[in-house]
Amino acid sequence: MNKLFNRFLTSSRRQFLISSVAGSTTILFGMSSAHAVGRQVINLLNPSSPLVVPPNFHPTIWFTMEVNGRTTVHILKTEMGQHIGTTLAQIVAEELELAWEWVRIDYPEMTAEAQAAYGIQITGGSYSTHEMFDRLARSAAAARELIVETGAKLLDAETADCMARRSTVVDTVSENQITYSEILSSTAIEYKITEDDLSEVKLKPRENYKIIGRSMPALDIPEKINGKARFGIDAYVPNMVYGKIVPAPTRVGSTIKGIDDSAAKKIDGYITTLPLNFPIAVKTNAIPTALVIAENYPAAMRAANLVKVDWEVSGTSKISSQDILTEAKKLLTNRSKGLAFVRDGNIDRAKQDANQTLDASYITGLVAHASLEPQSALVQNVDGIWNVFAGCQAGHVVRLILSNFLKTTPDKIVVHPHYVGGGFGSRVYPMPIVLAAVAAQTLNRPVKVIFNREDDMGLEDPRTTTLQHLTALLSGNGNVIGLKHDVVAGWIGFELVNIPAVDNKGKIEALSYSGADHWYDIPNQHVTAFRNEFLESVMPLGAVRSVSNNYTVFAIESFLDEIAHNLKKDPLSVRLELLSGRGKNAGASPSKLYKHKFPLFFGIPGPAWKKWKFWPTYHASANVAGAKRLANVLRISTGHAGYGTRLLRKDTAHGIAVTAAEERGMPSFCACTAEVHVNRSSGEVFVRKLTVAIDVGLAVNPDGIRAQVEGSLLWGVSNSLFEELTVKNGKFVQNNFDKYSWQTMDNLPELDIQIVENGLYPCGVGEPATSVVGAAVANGIFNAVGIRIRKLPIRREDVLQALKA
Amino acid sequence: MSRLKVNGRSYSVNAAPDTPLLWVLREDLRLTGTKFGCGRGHCGCCTVHLNGEAMRSCQIRLGDVEGEIITTIEGLDARSDHPLQRAWVKEQVAQCGYCQSGQIMQAAALLADNPKPTDEEIITAMKFNLCRCMTYPRIKKAIQRASREIRNRNE
Repeated sequence: MNKLFNRFLTSSRRQFLISSVAGSTTILFGMSSAHAVGRQVINLLNPSSPLVVPPNFHPTIWFTMEVNGRTTVHILKTEMGQHIGTTLAQIVAEELELAWEWVRIDYPEMTAEAQAAYGIQITGGSYSTHEMFDRLARSAAAARELIVETGAKLLDAETADCMARRSTVVDTVSENQITYSEILSSTAIEYKITEDDLSEVKLKPRENYKIIGRSMPALDIPEKINGKARFGIDAYVPNMVYGKIVPAPTRVGSTIKGIDDSAAKKIDGYITTLPLNFPIAVKTNAIPTALVIAENYPAAMRAANLVKVDWEVSGTSKISSQDILTEAKKLLTNRSKGLAFVRDGNIDRAKQDANQTLDASYITGLVAHASLEPQSALVQNVDGIWNVFAGCQAGHVVRLILSNFLKTTPDKIVVHPHYVGGGFGSRVYPMPIVLAAVAAQTLNRPVKVIFNREDDMGLEDPRTTTLQHLTALLSGNGNVIGLKHDVVAGWIGFELVNIPAVDNKGKIEALSYSGADHWYDIPNQHVTAFRNEFLESVMPLGAVRSVSNNYTVFAIESFLDEIAHNLKKDPLSVRLELLSGRGKNAGASPSKLYKHKFPLFFGIPGPAWKKWKFWPTYHASANVAGAKRLANVLRISTGHAGYGTRLLRKDTAHGIAVTAAEERGMPSFCACTAEVHVNRSSGEVFVRKLTVAIDVGLAVNPDGIRAQVEGSLLWGVSNSLFEELTVKNGKFVQNNFDKYSWQTMDNLPELDIQIVENGLYPCGVGEPATSVVGAAVANGIFNAVGIRIRKLPIRREDVLQALKA
Repeated sequence: MSRLKVNGRSYSVNAAPDTPLLWVLREDLRLTGTKFGCGRGHCGCCTVHLNGEAMRSCQIRLGDVEGEIITTIEGLDARSDHPLQRAWVKEQVAQCGYCQSGQIMQAAALLADNPKPTDEEIITAMKFNLCRCMTYPRIKKAIQRASREIRNRNE
């Protein structure tokens, strides 16, 4: 067997190096350290007896196999409640044939090297499983082939006769076997998996899956129930000081003229107050801020109450929510401001052909992220490297932005991942990180900035408020022949990659209109995107769970019911007719593989993205079968709920809606039947039950998916019934949870969730179901008491008023 | 110097008497399992036990609790094996996890007081503990599971 070692082996497809320990030429299976291969290092206790550092098998950036048999899967995604590490580890374990108990996960630091290797580091858009599935599966399968080949040599068997199972290579002829640990202890496999390997490797047929498709308990849960989990706010380093902001009089635009901290000086532990007058043009949420610095956070809070800041108050200080809506209405009257988002058929001809038109306007309010962990960040400089300790959804964004503020290069910035105490889009834009970094540079000490709740809510970058106008063109025989949809929305901006308008006249932030490009077969269709720049001048806007789908789907799905009622048809049959899956709504061909460029909607600042390395992936198209899958989940949801067949109590009815969020390229097809009760005397709306079917393609971890859908649905209920930020004098009125209320354990609807498992390429699940709720509830209200609510959130005053009308 | 008894240990703390207990636990004792959420007692992230009762530690002043018995999530069970913690794993409750220490502490006080709560009693006890991931249905199930386990053990 000696011939195996210290030379290149030629296999059918590749060459790789298997080497023994220097000087050792014997393999003894089952014996570990004495004969282990590896790198010799000096043993400080006994220099004459060198230690051998066993070499890990690291054939790809995604995981490391250790000689002890353990495999650590490296999770580049931020853990913020979706248990993404468990899902990704399952994909690796499946194709690598690992025994699950030998699987660990870690979250690598985000450095320049990591970024060069991994490419973009961002967690959002419900994209993680979809984005990672193929590359992880292929990398793991390629590594398995290497292990099997090596195991076969060690067993003196033919590779073709050998197979991997539960971290062991088995020779099916002799029934000899060797564990991965034994293989890696006796050999060092030096090989880096290439892109050719990835495209050639054979993946397992899904009927052979043993780990994918099982509800593995989430690996991050045990430390989240005993206080050991470390969130960004739990980071500490020696010698650090604390920063607490003094809030500005407006959300944006006010600048610091002067600071009087004489009263604060008597606070024990107070150090100083930094006027951080960032240029307002910088679109990072880093607005001018007075940062009170103290030896501990309670002292910083006490001092912040005593520091007097003289502000040059912004012109936005006169603006309130009503002004924003007025501006949105004005915008709709100026057609030249509209950008062509969808242009199908000939809407003018449809107008001539139409027998009847139907119009409605919908309004949605500002929605906060309101993550329970307030934003925080700790920044420490060690030997010229800026170490960032914070929970953040986009390590690469942080590194780029900070390099601008610190006037250094991104390679001098390292982000140490932490758990995020609720993401929902709140951790993409790193204002506290900027504050902490600039303060640390100024003070030459590590600085930890913690927003209190009022700071956190005052500096929200909420979901945009929207005004949408829809016009349906109906034929004499009751068909929808045309649909016009105008959407006024503020843009998240931040140099997101925008798409060109259909007519190439301007660019559109697709993220702010996604969902308006729905799956209904309507031959003549216009969606026109209006940008609410006035709103953007009052506050930066953010991506909030399921982003635009929440408002576009609310409008379209409400309007479809209005159309159905107008045509005296059942809303279910109208939808099923329109979800025929023809033309562009047929979805992609199942056999088509495409190289998946990173989704358009993710923030890739500036021209830098062109230089970055993107890992090629080989996704089967995610929207195979298109609208037919949407029709399928709608049938399941309504069927399960007993839509149209159950007797419901007085003033109670079912309402239905569908969504295919997050976007047409990655749709999780979801339908909801909401059982809604309206209290006619109080105007209160009660969502009794949501019966939901969701088709996410392959379900890697069904219970994990269920948990995300449960959370998404209740978010949807909360957004629909309770949540709204309002603006007065240029800032948010609601600054804590007494004024910004949301769903509690009280009045929870019953949730009946059907996960449709069909093995198609997986789509995301953290957000999509959120967007299905609003319209289902509004439609249920109409069916229960005959009033049409066209505004989110659904306020009891609005319900009462409509009932009286 | 204030003297504090937390999780069965005694500590001397050099903090102003009006410092909220929450920050003493987090900053001085580095018991970071107790979380800061709203600072006004609206969310329940900072819930600890004061002499066995669930309290919002952001609303308690250090000077008011010298010598009292304080328990945090870290001290709920020496091996993190409280029936509620087991139930929390069984039901896979936690998502982001940030509110969960407070949820578990609130639930533990409920079960200590009332080992067999009805649905209504669970809601009454828990409805002021917010969860932004909306894990409420699973929190409820886990409390029911732990309650069953405690009752079976006592029978």
